[in-house]
Amino acid sequence: MCASSVIPGTTLGATRRIRTRSGAATGQLARQRPAQPVAWTEAEAIRLAQAGNAPAFEFLYQLHGRRVYALCLRMVGNPADAEDLMQEAFLQLFRKIGTFRGESAFSTWLHRMTVNVVLMRLRKKSLPTDSLEETLEPDAENSGPKRDVGAPDLRLTGAVDRVNLERSIEKLPPGYRTVFVLHDVQGYEHNEIADIMGCSVGNSKSQLHKARTRLRDLLQEEIRQQAREERKAAKTPTGSLD
Amino acid sequence: MHCKELESVLETEGLGQLPKDARLHLATCGACQAFVADLNSIVSAAKSLPAEVAPPDRIWISLRARLEAEGLIKEPVEVSEQPAWWESFRAWLKPRTFASAAGAAVLLAAIVFVTRISQTSHPGIAKNQPVAETPHVAQPSTTASASAASTTPVREPSKGTTASKTKELAPSPSESASFTLSQAELDVPDMQLAGNSQVDLALRQNLRTLNAFIAECELHLKQNPQDELAREYLNTAYQQKADLLAAMMESGRGEN
Repeated sequence: MCASSVIPGTTLGATRRIRTRSGAATGQLARQRPAQPVAWTEAEAIRLAQAGNAPAFEFLYQLHGRRVYALCLRMVGNPADAEDLMQEAFLQLFRKIGTFRGESAFSTWLHRMTVNVVLMRLRKKSLPTDSLEETLEPDAENSGPKRDVGAPDLRLTGAVDRVNLERSIEKLPPGYRTVFVLHDVQGYEHNEIADIMGCSVGNSKSQLHKARTRLRDLLQEEIRQQAREERKAAKTPTGSLD
Repeated sequence: MHCKELESVLETEGLGQLPKDARLHLATCGACQAFVADLNSIVSAAKSLPAEVAPPDRIWISLRARLEAEGLIKEPVEVSEQPAWWESFRAWLKPRTFASAAGAAVLLAAIVFVTRISQTSHPGIAKNQPVAETPHVAQPSTTASASAASTTPVREPSKGTTASKTKELAPSPSESASFTLSQAELDVPDMQLAGNSQVDLALRQNLRTLNAFIAECELHLKQNPQDELAREYLNTAYQQKADLLAAMMESGRGEN
């Protein structure tokens, strides 16, 4: 179902060699980038980073930064917060890299830290509409999809476009959002998500299903809202001419 | 099977292959068909969202600064693999290394040359030395800055008159750097900067800006040789120019 085989971050192995680009930049940037390309395995880079090797830090950052940034961006919805969170996540990672023993995949370890940093931030912000508890303790009574009579058909209306979906993802409770983004956007498997989120595989599956169901409701609500606005706009022109 | 049961099957099994009884129910229930179809549409749309987004460069710059401030980043350690001899030779020929070596050689030659001149002009100090020929007249560009160099601290410990004379007449490190960089710059346009990419254009623009700044600093120092701040700016500009030239040659080497 999910396309983990094409997602680089999920298939990182100890033998995978990745070559960083040469730092051909000017001024300050030139000093921040390695002067020569380096070809390490992830395991080699981790070992060197544990010894404080600067290019190894950058190698790991370049290797995982794009996925971590995408996750942060999707979770908080704005680039400024995403940058801040990404930096915080990597800072924590590099502070603790000496304790990494390879018991789980490095990318999983990094994503766990990122998710924790993001959720911590969202808790501090205390989103007004939904609480985190909702995601941690699934409510059996509310778990079923709403099947309103006359609800708009998402397929026929074409509501599931990228803009609507992104807007609806932002409205999901943080826990649902995390699982949905990790699984359906980034392609992680449930066992990896369970590792990242610190929950069971069954819980990950359940959260994902509820996230999708909630998204469906949100998208339907989006269609209703658009229809209301269209009706309102259709009435406005005659009034505005007075 | 009822709708509620299908719901729990979807929760545990996902949208993949459903059990036979679930499929039978789905075939006869329009509401569940619409529900499953909607979920499939959402999953398809989610797959079209980018799983990777390039972060801005400033994140790494800021992160690196924090890592350095916390002492987490140390100097790069040696790679365990020994580089081949030709790699060492290539590294020696790298523009920055070559520029540094050339600068040091020019500085050393100038010190030796001026020392010999000063010894011949002070026979009491160097009685047994052969008399040198008439020394070359200093270049116009270095004449003005030679007086400026009198205030520049020299790394060699001063020993008597000869050393102080050396201090007066030796070209400053800035002048040596300027000479070396000029030589390096002459090599750059033909050899490396043939490209018209955005990077090349930006590099050339940066070089022009730096050259203008260096010229301004040099002019200011000729008029105000005591201005230590201007000298500091000039030295920094030389360093930046060396870095820039190295980057340009590196870029050109990558393209050629």
